[in-house]
Amino acid sequence: MSSVKLKKIGVRFLLTLLTLQLLTYSLPAAQPPDIEEQTRAIAAELRCPVCQNLSVADSPSELAQEMRALVKEQLEQGKSPEEIRKFFVSKYGDWVLLAPPAKGFGLVLWVLPAAGAVLGLLLVVFVTRRWVRRNKTDGTAATSSLSAQANVSPDSDNREFLQGERERIETEEKEIEFDFQSGKLSDADYAAMRRRLAGEAAAVGQKLMALPQPLAVHASPRRSTTEKKPHMPADRRGLKGWQLVTGAVFLLLLGLSLGALLMQATRQRSSAQDTITGGFLTGTSSGSPDALMAQGRASFEKRDWPQAIDAFKKVLAIDANHPEANAYMGLMLAQAGHTDGAITAFDRALAADPNAPVALWGKGMLLAQNGTDAAEARRLLEKVSSMMPPGQEKTEVENKIAELDKPGTVKNTAAPTKQSPAPAQTAAPAKQRPPAEAQAAGGAIQGVIDVDPKSKPAVDQKAVLFIIAKSTSGAGPPLAVKKIGHPKFPMSYSIGPEDVMMPGSLFSGKLFISARLAKDGNIGNKEPGNMAGEYKKNPVDVGAKRIDFQLEPLK
Amino acid sequence: MPLRRLIITLALIVPFVALLAYGFFRDPRYIPSPLVGRQAPDFTLTLFTGEKVKLSDLRGKVVFINFWASWCPPCIAEAKELEATWQNMRQGDVVFLGIEIQDTETNGRAFVNQFGVTYPNGADSTGRIAIDFGVWGIPETFFVDPDGRIVYKHVGEIHGPIVTAKAAEARQRIITSKEGKGDYTSIR
Repeated sequence: MSSVKLKKIGVRFLLTLLTLQLLTYSLPAAQPPDIEEQTRAIAAELRCPVCQNLSVADSPSELAQEMRALVKEQLEQGKSPEEIRKFFVSKYGDWVLLAPPAKGFGLVLWVLPAAGAVLGLLLVVFVTRRWVRRNKTDGTAATSSLSAQANVSPDSDNREFLQGERERIETEEKEIEFDFQSGKLSDADYAAMRRRLAGEAAAVGQKLMALPQPLAVHASPRRSTTEKKPHMPADRRGLKGWQLVTGAVFLLLLGLSLGALLMQATRQRSSAQDTITGGFLTGTSSGSPDALMAQGRASFEKRDWPQAIDAFKKVLAIDANHPEANAYMGLMLAQAGHTDGAITAFDRALAADPNAPVALWGKGMLLAQNGTDAAEARRLLEKVSSMMPPGQEKTEVENKIAELDKPGTVKNTAAPTKQSPAPAQTAAPAKQRPPAEAQAAGGAIQGVIDVDPKSKPAVDQKAVLFIIAKSTSGAGPPLAVKKIGHPKFPMSYSIGPEDVMMPGSLFSGKLFISARLAKDGNIGNKEPGNMAGEYKKNPVDVGAKRIDFQLEPLK
Repeated sequence: MPLRRLIITLALIVPFVALLAYGFFRDPRYIPSPLVGRQAPDFTLTLFTGEKVKLSDLRGKVVFINFWASWCPPCIAEAKELEATWQNMRQGDVVFLGIEIQDTETNGRAFVNQFGVTYPNGADSTGRIAIDFGVWGIPETFFVDPDGRIVYKHVGEIHGPIVTAKAAEARQRIITSKEGKGDYTSIR
């Protein structure tokens, strides 16, 4: 009677539930949809192309606004939401849908969570069942219905089982011994338990003795592990070695990769060019451009060229048009003698920021020194001068502008290009300069360079001689370089302030003097026939005379 | 038995890790365009000079369409090079069109003057042309062949040699399904 009643209530409940559900589904369809609402609904399904993980409905961007307007317009034209979605897919691909279609790779997104849940459930069921089964065996053992168990199982199983029992009894004995010692058991309880265990142990011992011959050989239970049968629970004695190792390695890898990837994914974005992953995954640097710039400037001041170049390169990897980084690269290229590269870098900087002071100064000074484009040099230097506060640097720039107006500078028009075969002429106007200027900066270093007599026949007639003055003995752009085409050895030379590579740097202090003879005019090449040499007692003071040394073939 | 277990464990874990790795190595902001190889959407652009240009009127010519904004660094970087390329190609059958998007017309005019851009440029003030072309990054460049088909898309800064090469390919109606990428791909 009562069960029938219950059934009736159940059916009624189900029916109510169904009706309610039907109602909730049919209600919105019954009313004519509001255009605004529909626009919002469709926009919420579309991904904003210029934002990160925002829908068109939520994005304040101009493009998203326009897309919303377009959705509304198309709705007003009587297009269905499906048609509108198709329109946007035709322009941006499936990417534009926030819920990807369940086909192709998108299918993975739909299937994976469900598959994961099912697999997880199966795993839970499997593991729980195993636990339950194991507990059952343990439980039956504890009730010590030994004989029943032993009789049902075949001999070998019995042996395993009995050995397990013996171990259990031994452990239990130890435990009650410990409990008794620590006062947790009364004398009477202890005695009773010991008696019970002794009885059990005797029974197990008897059973073991009663088993057929092979058992006697392996009667000692702990050493019979080789005899284990596959269906004896493998994890009864804990995990096996390979399981532990696999688990540990997996956990370690998971932890490491999660840690690294999360650190990368959650760090602060340093610029618009910084990608979501960044760092080692995409090759972009993770340092902030500002910090890198500061580092670069500091290294530049210290004349630590490799460090400076490294820092500016990192900035340029994040933002290839960073005005200041490009300008500094230009300065360093100019110092290293790569005029063309320097001009390109300055132009890049000026394209991004027409008022970048370092670029204006660098390009202006470089052009003024080369004399290739005096008008442009003048324009740039005047611009930078107008931006500078009064002081020594401003005066320097103003002096340079004044120098540009002197007719003498026009002579330099044909000056140092790479293969310039006219070093004598280039050097000439410098020598004619008022001596006061040279002295102010410390004066030129003079001497004679010769070639090792044995190698003299090997000197290439077209070779170019570079005389180099460096502030340090290590690597990096030199302070001054003098280039001499078709040198005749022994060759007397003079290197001074007019040969300084970076406009504005002072030819002063202790300098390391060396020279290189390059067959193809390229100082960096180490081809046979090139020669090098340096003054034995480096460094020397500026203004030093008779700094003579020999060139030897490069090894 | 242990080997089987190991294989099963790996079979479960490896695809999962591979999927994660795939996700991490992808640029999530990169959107492959479905438009390459298809007919270019028609539009009428009002140039800064006041004239109007209709894309479908340019059939028979290769059309280079560059979407830009005055505030975008890669656009600034490519401006002079594009103008120089245009100067080299203007005698031929290639038409250059610059379309300013997500920007004001005043800024656009100033940009064109600053970089001395002489090829036709106009503003897409409503953004409809950009949506029609599925533009998501700035700059983006499209090449349209003489039949009016989009044959190549380039996202980010583009250089002269690529423009020359792709214009020549467009003339022969060669479609490049793989999009080009500049040094810049992002938009802000």
